[in-house]
Amino acid sequence: MEVVPAGYRVGEWQVTDLIGAGGWGTVYAARRADFPGGEGYGHVNGDEDGHGHGHGHGHGHGHGHGHVNGDDGGSAADGEAAPTDVALKFLPTAGLAPRQARGLVETARRETELSRRTRHPRLIRLFDSITLGESAGPAFDGAVVLVMERAERSLRERLEAASPTGRTVPSSSDARSSTPSGEEPLSVREGARLLTEVCEGLAHLHGLGWVHGDLKPDNVLIMADGSVRLADFGLSVELTGTHAYIPPLGTPDYLPPERWQASLGERGVQVRQSTDIWALGVMIHQVFTGGVSPFPGATPAARGAAAQEYADGRAPLRMDLRVPPFWRDLAADCLSPAHTDRAAHTVESLLGRIRAEGERSSTPSGDRRRRTVLAASTLAMAMAMAVAVAASSLGAVGWLQFGDDRSPGNGAASGQDGPGPSIVSNARIKVYNAERSCDRLDERDSLCSLGLAIDPLLPYDIDNVVRTRVWEGDVLTADCQLPRGVPVADEAGTLSFRWYRVRLTAEKGRTTAWLPAVRTKDRPALAECPARPSPG
Amino acid sequence: MSGVLVHLPSEERTEITPASEPVSLRLGPGDVARFGRGSASVPVDLRLACPAVSRLAGEIRVTEDHWQLSNLSTSQTYLVENPEGAGEYFRVPPRRAGAPVPFEFARVVLPARGAAVSFQVFAPDHAYLGTSGMADLAGTGTLAGFSLDETSTYFLVLVALCEPRLRDESTVAVATTPQIVERLRSRPGCERLTARAVSSHIDYLADEKLRITAPVTGPGQGVRRNGKREAVAGLALRFGLVREEHLGLLPPRRPAFHRPGVAGA
Repeated sequence: MEVVPAGYRVGEWQVTDLIGAGGWGTVYAARRADFPGGEGYGHVNGDEDGHGHGHGHGHGHGHGHGHVNGDDGGSAADGEAAPTDVALKFLPTAGLAPRQARGLVETARRETELSRRTRHPRLIRLFDSITLGESAGPAFDGAVVLVMERAERSLRERLEAASPTGRTVPSSSDARSSTPSGEEPLSVREGARLLTEVCEGLAHLHGLGWVHGDLKPDNVLIMADGSVRLADFGLSVELTGTHAYIPPLGTPDYLPPERWQASLGERGVQVRQSTDIWALGVMIHQVFTGGVSPFPGATPAARGAAAQEYADGRAPLRMDLRVPPFWRDLAADCLSPAHTDRAAHTVESLLGRIRAEGERSSTPSGDRRRRTVLAASTLAMAMAMAVAVAASSLGAVGWLQFGDDRSPGNGAASGQDGPGPSIVSNARIKVYNAERSCDRLDERDSLCSLGLAIDPLLPYDIDNVVRTRVWEGDVLTADCQLPRGVPVADEAGTLSFRWYRVRLTAEKGRTTAWLPAVRTKDRPALAECPARPSPG
Repeated sequence: MSGVLVHLPSEERTEITPASEPVSLRLGPGDVARFGRGSASVPVDLRLACPAVSRLAGEIRVTEDHWQLSNLSTSQTYLVENPEGAGEYFRVPPRRAGAPVPFEFARVVLPARGAAVSFQVFAPDHAYLGTSGMADLAGTGTLAGFSLDETSTYFLVLVALCEPRLRDESTVAVATTPQIVERLRSRPGCERLTARAVSSHIDYLADEKLRITAPVTGPGQGVRRNGKREAVAGLALRFGLVREEHLGLLPPRRPAFHRPGVAGA
């Protein structure tokens, strides 16, 4: 489309800058034009005859200059006034075949309709919709301009600003994201906050029975105050029953597996609220990894194929270990392959889990430790815990924030948080191998054997294992546990710092070795091992 | 994604011994199918009952939006032809592992005594960029979910099918198969287009490219087929897959009152 020159006037707005070009429109920054005397007349382009207001807002004025005294809240029936700085989204229809133009007007209609029906602090506000007339010149005749809240940038730009290459994927669609500023990557705490706000916006939309339809970091906008707004409702639609239909458009990286096989009906393709949930799962992964999709591949086609392979059960979901365990669980639920399974994870339920996690991790750590101490039944245990309290109050709070040593699935039973069951002096633990291909092998294939470490504070590698190998199903006797050894992740991505000291029976010169906690499903309430574990 | 489709025999004129029954396989991303003469100890997914073909002759593996061909024979070179490519082909030498196949339509030809043995592989997931070019490459842009190769024969068939409606000659009519054959005959490369080929192109569009939910209108085969053609044209127009500008792909129209050869245009 033709570039809108700086200074171009649309109604009371004056274009200042290009923000970016999206799927079907171009977005510009604009300011309220400064009228001497504050009168709303004298449009430079004289196009007030040509534009009529969208039906979106119930503004009482018909000529497009009612907002001049921007803070006169009373002029708009809904009591809102556009700020001085806005974003203008141009949806041009010039040069389009009538059919395409109709499609574009339909897009604009969806956006205004959604904005009129849903008002929420987490959804970008649409102040006005203006259709340009003949006087706007041949390039813009018939163009629809949406007047929207101005954001500072999109979540994608934020993720790219911090990635080492400046961009996670080659992009050219965005005029602003050209220079990487080398910003700090999003912290876990900040990422958690952004995602929580995304979920709040989505919960509001879903609560009203709508589907966003094109959820992705490009459409999550970050305002100057850091708060999040969902934007771009061009594919949003109100559900009729459990699903609705939208035009067959989408962003490949965020399409749920059922969409790759979706059939095209007369009204388009089916979308459900679980469509947004899948996209949310992809986005959760991206937020903590600087924009990397959970599905491997260099191109959208490769990632789409990887998602398909995962959904068909031919490949496991392997998430990046930078994603904190809580969010990894959440993303895994969002990425349930079958939309029927995904439907159980409503955004409302996800938001509940996020808030519970937020409360859990914001409880002052000292308090929780002290409760643990009270529940401990032996004096030795109490003393060991007292040491831990001292250590954590010195600055280990950071890793409690959504990112501690908690394997998915075992929840608070990991023994470290909250009062656990009474301490036992030894326990039998069963070896577990996360490599599922090892299930099928009856004999003890050496490829499926697991090593026991000599020293859990040294890297878990070939030089640090005892000669004895163990296999899935073996039962070992453990006599104590070490909560903070070297972190070990298993093949499914579960990460743990915890180690169990196990007895060796058939090895000369050695009576004990260490099993990483990810190699067993058991979580016995063993005493902590002595402060500096003695190898062997 | 539809994955990849394998058809055996590739067409009726291929001289395959009647022992190999017709097979159609659908493979998703990551799926593998082996082909060869097979035996009790060497099971194959695609059996080519020809004594010149190895028991385990090769392997098809679907990766991303295309597929790879491994030649497991130690002495035979296979050919991969593009039936729409005016003789375009490439060789896959013995023991070549994972040769990527760039064609949406491909015919794999194995040498055999006398006639060659062949089967067809379709890769309908091939993606094409929208008019905005580079912006689509990043994967962050919002794209049409259905992408068509505008240089393919099926696309010509689609344009010809939609022509009456694109020219606003009719709001409901679609071209019939004989009309499409006649319309495209003067275009280079389409001289030998048959009615049967046009029908299979329309089936391919409906089943693989657009994945249309087939309207089941009646028991009659003719009625059903007609419903499918209208659905293909209706959706292609509604979602802008075929536009007025594509009419330029069709050969110039002769005025109806002129006889062919007299019009001179």
